[in-house]
Amino acid sequence: MSTAPRVVVSGLGQVSAAGLGREAMAAALVAAQPEPVEVDLSASYHLEGGARRALLARSESEIARWVPPMEARRFSRPSKLAVAAARMALDDAGLAADALAGPTAIVVATTFGPSEFTERILGQILADGPQGASPFLFTQSVANAPAAQMAMVLGARGPNVTVTQREAGPLIALGRAVAEVASGRARAAVVAAVEEHSSLLHAVLNRFSALAGSEGDDDVARPFDRRRSGFVFAEGATALILEREDEVRARGRRPLAACGLAVGAFDPAAPRTGWSRDPAVLAGVLEARLLAAGLSPDDIDFVVSGASGAVAGDRLEGALLRRLWPGGPPPVFAPKGCLGEYGGGLLGPAVLAASGETLGPTAGFAEPDPEVGVVPHSGGPLEPPRRILATGLAAGGAAAWMVLEAPEP
Amino acid sequence: MNDSRRPGDRVVITGLGAVSGWGWDAAALWRGLSSGMTAVGTELRFSTEGQRTHVAAEAPEEPAGLADAFAGWSRLSRADRFAVSAAREALAQADLEVSGADTGLFFGTSTAGIAEGEEYFLRLLGRSPGSPRLQFLASHEMNGPGDAVARCFEVAGPVRSVSSACAAAALAVGDALHALRAGEVRRALAGGSDSLCLLTYSGFNSLRAVDEAPCRPFRADREGLNLGEGAGVLVLERLDDALGRGARPLAELLGAGASCDAHHMTAPHPEGEGAAQAMLAALADAGLAPDQVDFVNAHGTGTPLNDSAEAKALHTVFGDRARALPLTSTKGSVGHLLGSSGAIEAVVTALCLETAEVHPTPGGGEADPALGVDLVHGSARRLAHGAGRQLVAVSTSFAFGGSNAALVLGSWPGDGSS
Repeated sequence: MSTAPRVVVSGLGQVSAAGLGREAMAAALVAAQPEPVEVDLSASYHLEGGARRALLARSESEIARWVPPMEARRFSRPSKLAVAAARMALDDAGLAADALAGPTAIVVATTFGPSEFTERILGQILADGPQGASPFLFTQSVANAPAAQMAMVLGARGPNVTVTQREAGPLIALGRAVAEVASGRARAAVVAAVEEHSSLLHAVLNRFSALAGSEGDDDVARPFDRRRSGFVFAEGATALILEREDEVRARGRRPLAACGLAVGAFDPAAPRTGWSRDPAVLAGVLEARLLAAGLSPDDIDFVVSGASGAVAGDRLEGALLRRLWPGGPPPVFAPKGCLGEYGGGLLGPAVLAASGETLGPTAGFAEPDPEVGVVPHSGGPLEPPRRILATGLAAGGAAAWMVLEAPEP
Repeated sequence: MNDSRRPGDRVVITGLGAVSGWGWDAAALWRGLSSGMTAVGTELRFSTEGQRTHVAAEAPEEPAGLADAFAGWSRLSRADRFAVSAAREALAQADLEVSGADTGLFFGTSTAGIAEGEEYFLRLLGRSPGSPRLQFLASHEMNGPGDAVARCFEVAGPVRSVSSACAAAALAVGDALHALRAGEVRRALAGGSDSLCLLTYSGFNSLRAVDEAPCRPFRADREGLNLGEGAGVLVLERLDDALGRGARPLAELLGAGASCDAHHMTAPHPEGEGAAQAMLAALADAGLAPDQVDFVNAHGTGTPLNDSAEAKALHTVFGDRARALPLTSTKGSVGHLLGSSGAIEAVVTALCLETAEVHPTPGGGEADPALGVDLVHGSARRLAHGAGRQLVAVSTSFAFGGSNAALVLGSWPGDGSS
């Protein structure tokens, strides 16, 4: 019998195109009116055509409230966003700025890391020779720089881990952070997902036809929709504070969500940069792990899906959900239609769903796709879900899921 | 003590694989380490013109036959190829098929396929011959090497890539250990892979962290590290599973611990506080006391600050015994493999335990007297099994950003019998 303490989410901070903070994210998800902006495509490596817009964190003056300019000048963009989100999460949890100093784990998910700094160093080397490389840019360009900066500002001396598993990364990071706290290896944890938008990445994703609008259509994310053509590139950071439930209750606070089962799987048949058609391998692992934990798909009453509008990714997600629920899945919500493709666009809404926030409709969805076979929830009133399944299917074959539970009152 | 754990909680290593400057297998690595020589040289794949330094430990040309063994080999990045080759070797030694959901893949890297991404842009800008091919960019992401291994060997369990600079692979091996103990998987491939590239080389040179000569870890005249490249992979199994299928364990993975300095982006905590914390956490995870450790495979980069901080950490953990505890640095022989260094050093530590020999650290003679450590140099140091006692080693990895990881490994059989 397991004696591991229950690990809960006690605070959520975020900065994204939706604004700053938990309430801003919840409000944006209800409004379902994303506002992507034109991005600078003047660099020589951009092709004609393709997606021209992205969802960017625009509230620089508000971000400066959390990361003053004098401090921010030492950070890459992802580090700045991650530190801002972490401080907001602490505040949301009712914790002082130094409350997590000590054996706190930091677990951060990112796909591309501080790519703009990487681009700048390479530019320096090409323009001025190897000795033109800036040591500052180099040290801040490593993928774990945001995690390191978070640790320094919080005084977090527990395990410090940066997960890089694409779209599955945020839920893998959450699972690892839960394990660190539940095992006692860390007293608490800050788990975050962070991504920056850079001109170079935008060009690369256009070349892979990954972005909505890459093929000359409109650049709108349409998760599960028949007309979907890709995702909308987003930047932002979401941070969660994880603690033992008894510690959160002891200071008189109600958790936002309780963390349950974490599951990971890999489909070796997936193409390197895409998704399989057949969900059998992934569904088999998920079903078996649910069963082993004493759960069945029927115990899930809400799905927060990582579907982003990616043509093959959403098709696989739909097939997987239909396989788990042959009679039709419980209400499904795909927040990346509103928040765009970055890890925090999944992590935050999953916690919001467990906390009882009303979410949806899925922005961008209008026409069902028979090949996908999933019609997301319309956004109307629902019984507050008791158990939420968050899903993250990565291009390349990895997958991660997390069961989150609504906390007791 | 670990002996009180149920067999299902104990994790053993049944296969090892490596790629390094010494060659494309663990045998070549062990021969190189045993020679007391360094694989660091001046013949490099890319130009070092304009760099402050001109040496590194590059992996030699890949052996014939690998390309035929794997579909899609030509599309794999150099780091992917290191990873797949090391995994193939480890699985062959373990005599194990890992396809299916009972196996997990836990991998660390610092830059993965960045060399190919770099080549894409050099070609795009006309700075390198040939046309830019999108497949170069497909290699760029840091999940690349782990995914490549999972795909080649049809792993269907959890696949988790970590990029925490130079602690990445050790963190991944620790994750594998905890996943095995928790019953999340029954078998694991754990390791890391990294390849050299212009950007990494230039970046470390910009920090003035690299020595123009072969590095000299823990010596008084040490001036910096040498970069290397390669991979290390371990096959990990629960003890009862390994014994049940008649496998021969090579060593036991006893514990893993991690910490963060929360101090500085590049400099270690001057007193080695975080490093000591990681080692103590790993020993606690193993259920062992510091006085049960027989040797340490150090992070040992050869930079003045790192070696000093690590020596202080060793004194914090082991007290005065640090002066007589055999210490070795694999980086002295194969250079710093960055995100994969923790993996290849875990492989080397297991080999040391299997042979009961600690390999020498190239770079000169005695250690810097100011450090107060017992550096193994010149020739290998034989370890004496006490009657009925398991040999125990600690392997350390410390990263940019202050992320620290330590692993505790033990000889097999656990009672020291032959």
